[in-house]
Amino acid sequence: MTAMAGNARRSAQEPDGLGRFGRYAGPATLILSSLAGGPKHGYALTKDVEEFAGVRLAPGTLYEALSRLEGQGLIEALESQDRRRPYRLTAAGALALRAHLDDQRRVADVGLRRLAGGWGTS
Amino acid sequence: MTAPPPAPDPACAPPDPVTRRAARLVRWYPASWRARYGDEFTELLLAEFAERPRSWRRAADVARGGLVARLTGAGLTGHLREPSEQARAGLATAACSLAAFLIVGVAMWAQLAIGWEWAAPGAGAATAALVAMSAAAAFLAVLALLAAIPLTWSAARAFKTKTNKERPVRRSTLCALLGSGLVVIGSRHFANAWPGTGAHPALPHGFLPAGVAAFSWAGTLSVSSYWAHPGALAAFPAAEIAWMAVSPVAIVAAVVGVAGLVRRVGLSPRVLRYEAWLASAAAAAMAVFLAGACCWVLAEGSGPGLFHAGTIDIASLAVMMLALSTAQRATALARKSVLGPPPR
Repeated sequence: MTAMAGNARRSAQEPDGLGRFGRYAGPATLILSSLAGGPKHGYALTKDVEEFAGVRLAPGTLYEALSRLEGQGLIEALESQDRRRPYRLTAAGALALRAHLDDQRRVADVGLRRLAGGWGTS
Repeated sequence: MTAPPPAPDPACAPPDPVTRRAARLVRWYPASWRARYGDEFTELLLAEFAERPRSWRRAADVARGGLVARLTGAGLTGHLREPSEQARAGLATAACSLAAFLIVGVAMWAQLAIGWEWAAPGAGAATAALVAMSAAAAFLAVLALLAAIPLTWSAARAFKTKTNKERPVRRSTLCALLGSGLVVIGSRHFANAWPGTGAHPALPHGFLPAGVAAFSWAGTLSVSSYWAHPGALAAFPAAEIAWMAVSPVAIVAAVVGVAGLVRRVGLSPRVLRYEAWLASAAAAAMAVFLAGACCWVLAEGSGPGLFHAGTIDIASLAVMMLALSTAQRATALARKSVLGPPPR
């Protein structure tokens, strides 16, 4: 087993990793990455994710991921004066996001390196 | 000079069409989810409407999200926060699935048992089917009694303490008692009034005591293909037609009461593990019962008299398969939550 595969598998099984989110790992990563820049409510999250990732999270998908992230303690809701409740990243959420992004970066690095060597592009 | 009329209170003003549209979409979600996320989700929808007034993809996504939230609330996704909450939701759903399974399954079983009283089946498949279904039904009855012991104990304690906190438990208990009481009384009445079996309840008149078969037949009288033939149904006695309409309501009341008890009564982790173990055993018995039913329909479905399988029996098989798969999923997740994660 390569070191990279071992790391990726470990991340998927870690209690704090995002691997357990299955097909919601994508929205979860986008939401956590957005909240890493500061607390946001639902619509601000949608716009921010659309801006930096080019993906528009539909309302049902967004709140499905938000409720699961909140249930896992990776984000928390803040008090609000109006009906739009902002969320912020917790320490556990920051750890999980960092581990997940490190794994993704390792995969991206390997892919780019092999592309550069075997396909003549860089 | 008269004073100007007071400005209307915005809180009392009727919602505009856009707000009503958002509120309609939010109704896809269960009440508990709406209580937590409803306001902020409505705000998000209103902002989305302002940007893109119409989108069927968005509506479909909200509907899908609402259904997932409902499945989560029923303990069928494993995403509830507290293990005990997950276990209770899973067990309540397993109980509801078992009830749906038994309503159509017992109707089928009673048909075969009464058919045997008239004439023993000529083929081995029907005999094997009835033996398997009877054994599974008896096992399920024992499991139900064992499962009811801690629930009854906790419900009795709720009646004894009489605190406001226990009020939902008392309400669920009354609902279960009234529903099941009505089912038992009505089934006894119509079983005794029916000349089809007629034997003393304790005397074997075929494969099973006649009274048991007649009681089961009367209790599931509403599971009938006569609903599709109003002309033939109109020839039935009025009391019997009324019972066909009332008995499902009573059964639903009993099941809702039991499910409410499972969700609300105070059960320790040890009792939850015990109930989850019983639910697993019940799922296995349901599989045996279903195997027997399939054996009859597939091998002997073209038999004579009551051994002939009709469209309603095929539909019953489909309902039983769906109920079994739901019960297995709910039970597996409930067991997982009370037993904890597997050791690494």
